[in-house]
Amino acid sequence: MICSRTGAWRLLLGSAAIALAAAGAVEAKDLKVGLTSDAVHFDPQAGEELSSNIMFYHVYDPLVRRDADLNFGPGLAESWELTDDTTWVFHLRPGVRFHDGSDFKASDVVFTIDRLKASLMANLGANIVSATAIDDLTVEIKTPFPYAALPNDLAAILILSEAHVKAVGDTELDSSPMGTGPYKLGEWIKEDHITLLANPDYYMGAPKIDTVTFRPITNPATRTAALLTGELDIVQDLAVRDVDRVKGEAGFTVVTRPSLLNIVLAMDMREKSPTIALDKNPMTDHRVREAIARAIDVDTISAVIMNGLSTPSEQFVPASHVGYLPGADFHAMYPFDVEAAEQLMADAGYADGFTMTLDATNNRYVNDAQIGQALASMLAKIDIDLQLNLMPKSNFFGYIRVPSDNSSFIMSGWDVPSGDAGSMYSVLYYTRDVKEGYGQVNRGSYSNPALDALIDQADSTPRIEERAGYLRDATRILLDDIPMIPVHYEQDIYAARDGVVFTPRTDKFLWAYDMDVAE
Amino acid sequence: MLGYTIKRLLQMVLVLWAVSVIVFLMMSFTGDPVFMVIPIDSTQAEIDQARRILGLDRSMLAQYGIFIGNLLQGDFGRSYVFGQPAMELILERLPATMEIVVLAVVIAAVVAIPLGVYAGANPGRASSRAIMSGSLLGISLPGFWVGMMLIFLFSVRWHLLPSSGRGDAVEVWGLRLSFLTVDGWRHLILPSVTLSLGTLAILLRITRAGMMEVTRQDYMKFARAKGVSRRGVLYGHGLRNALIPVVTIFGLQLGDLIAFATITETIFAWPGLGKLLIDSIYRADRPVIVVYLMLVALIFVVINFIVDIVYTLIDPRITVK
Repeated sequence: MICSRTGAWRLLLGSAAIALAAAGAVEAKDLKVGLTSDAVHFDPQAGEELSSNIMFYHVYDPLVRRDADLNFGPGLAESWELTDDTTWVFHLRPGVRFHDGSDFKASDVVFTIDRLKASLMANLGANIVSATAIDDLTVEIKTPFPYAALPNDLAAILILSEAHVKAVGDTELDSSPMGTGPYKLGEWIKEDHITLLANPDYYMGAPKIDTVTFRPITNPATRTAALLTGELDIVQDLAVRDVDRVKGEAGFTVVTRPSLLNIVLAMDMREKSPTIALDKNPMTDHRVREAIARAIDVDTISAVIMNGLSTPSEQFVPASHVGYLPGADFHAMYPFDVEAAEQLMADAGYADGFTMTLDATNNRYVNDAQIGQALASMLAKIDIDLQLNLMPKSNFFGYIRVPSDNSSFIMSGWDVPSGDAGSMYSVLYYTRDVKEGYGQVNRGSYSNPALDALIDQADSTPRIEERAGYLRDATRILLDDIPMIPVHYEQDIYAARDGVVFTPRTDKFLWAYDMDVAE
Repeated sequence: MLGYTIKRLLQMVLVLWAVSVIVFLMMSFTGDPVFMVIPIDSTQAEIDQARRILGLDRSMLAQYGIFIGNLLQGDFGRSYVFGQPAMELILERLPATMEIVVLAVVIAAVVAIPLGVYAGANPGRASSRAIMSGSLLGISLPGFWVGMMLIFLFSVRWHLLPSSGRGDAVEVWGLRLSFLTVDGWRHLILPSVTLSLGTLAILLRITRAGMMEVTRQDYMKFARAKGVSRRGVLYGHGLRNALIPVVTIFGLQLGDLIAFATITETIFAWPGLGKLLIDSIYRADRPVIVVYLMLVALIFVVINFIVDIVYTLIDPRITVK
């Protein structure tokens, strides 16, 4: 167990510090980070949530690296090429070592992918059929169909050491992780702190910060207090109400960045909808969907409910993504206009409106319950009586699951850290039940053969520019069809003491390797 | 006494069984744990695979049967989320909770009982009235507010104590204990004080009420007349006779604090049991919730048992049957 080494580590750290001070060497830099929750896993194939993800990328490396702005580039793989439409060859970086000093080899990649396919996180490898080692530094990966976004997918697959996993066993990997990453696990005291120690032999160069301590502090006010008292150097998810307080304090900076999480409203497109007591589902009519879109004032939601800390979303994916359509803006196509919305409702034959239910969470997204209430009052203006069915996230995702027998109108969040709209469109908008791995979360039963065809085409070219072209066309169709209404991106808010060099990442994965501290 | 113990043990088994059934039934309404574990865009095949891995592919009844079967062999099941044995998750957090709870009840008892005796013996004095008004505050101020105010004053404003976390700890027989280090004590003070306030106020009021009742009794005056000192009468005769309800409440409060120190732990980011319970409820992590609540039930049963024994020590007229 990690805990039993506590004393030893402290001694080691202590004597190291003394030795350094005595030698008059550069002072060891340390950083204390306040997280919203403790990591659950150090085994990247055992589960995922933000805190664990943050740890994974410190300890392990992917073949393809995703930078702070969602650009993809070489990681453990130096280069890659296509040999035929469904076969990729990855050339691994030579001379990379795991923390235990052993060499990183192609067999580790193969082991990682095989283990992934049998794990809870099998979804991460959904577009990989097989991986084969050609030689120690070459891996061949096959996809089920020509799939141009494979490198993006690989950025989420972290490479394990075959020998280590086999030595410690599957369940023990959580407590004794080992990878090639810039940091090693020092100690992990559950719910108290995680200490990571720099890996001086890291292949991109030794990290600037020697020791990183993560402390899980769930209560936002306590997190702010711990920053202000100097117990922490930087905190994640600063509470909205503390933003002005921290800005007003000398020596601290607040940093915000739009996140990838797009809050969207899915509309049921079946002939008969579960919560609407009419023979025909009004939302099958494009005019009704447009009326709903025009009745929702995203700017007011942003200003009043989100305190300005949200960015109305123009499309279903952000501008950094493959498939984003430059210049198109949903809220410019269907601007907030109650009169026009009423007219559309009347034209469609629903001048008296109708009643339906919104399914939403009350503990998953920022102010989710309040957004639901605001939507109810906005839609009341066009005589849609929106009943709210709010529930905790533990119930929600089972409740809304396809075939969504309970739902007509669903609010949920969607993010695509792979930076590729295709992975979202294929599961969310492809016609349901016609193709394995497609349309499985198409909760509104949206179906458009033209869109399906574009997704099929995108998934049949191994060339990313062609894929981007098809996906841009798909975005155009989706903006016209309105199967969903994009609402906004939440904003990530960080606060740090001055002297911490920090640029927030779009994917929220704090990475100490990119950071520095000046005293 | 032996018969009593056996009867209590049987009762305990019954209580634990009832808790396990209730939690199992309740958890079937709180959502599907699979969706808390896997990515939401997983395909049906991936969902099925996850169900198999977690053992959720069987009927509720079969799952309960497996749970009971394993339980009888000492296996309490694995957390869906952590993948670790549920008992291990709980035991590794228990020492931290016990530390603040024990310190909190010690603070409560040490402060409340003398003040209660004083206020009960001298009900008319202004100082007694001040004590009683203070205890009202202790009962009515919510713990989270008190905790935040203490952090604001002692950490942010005056920089006297750390705001959160557990600080340095040393390991003794595999248990991490922070009350053996100076830094640990600095971290312990604020959460323990916050946690103690409610209990302190209740104990104080009950001690006072008991003392007011008892001081009117003839044997008190008689003891004084015989020449026993006032202090001796108050503590030797008075408090002893007023103590039965105090002990009862003390026991209940102790169990309550161990089981539900959640709010205080969250505010001070204290790595105890409470946060585990809340997180597990959010994540529909049934194995952890079942074991947690069974442990809580066990703690209550044991505390009540001890309280009954303590009754006989305080008042020899009481016997357990």
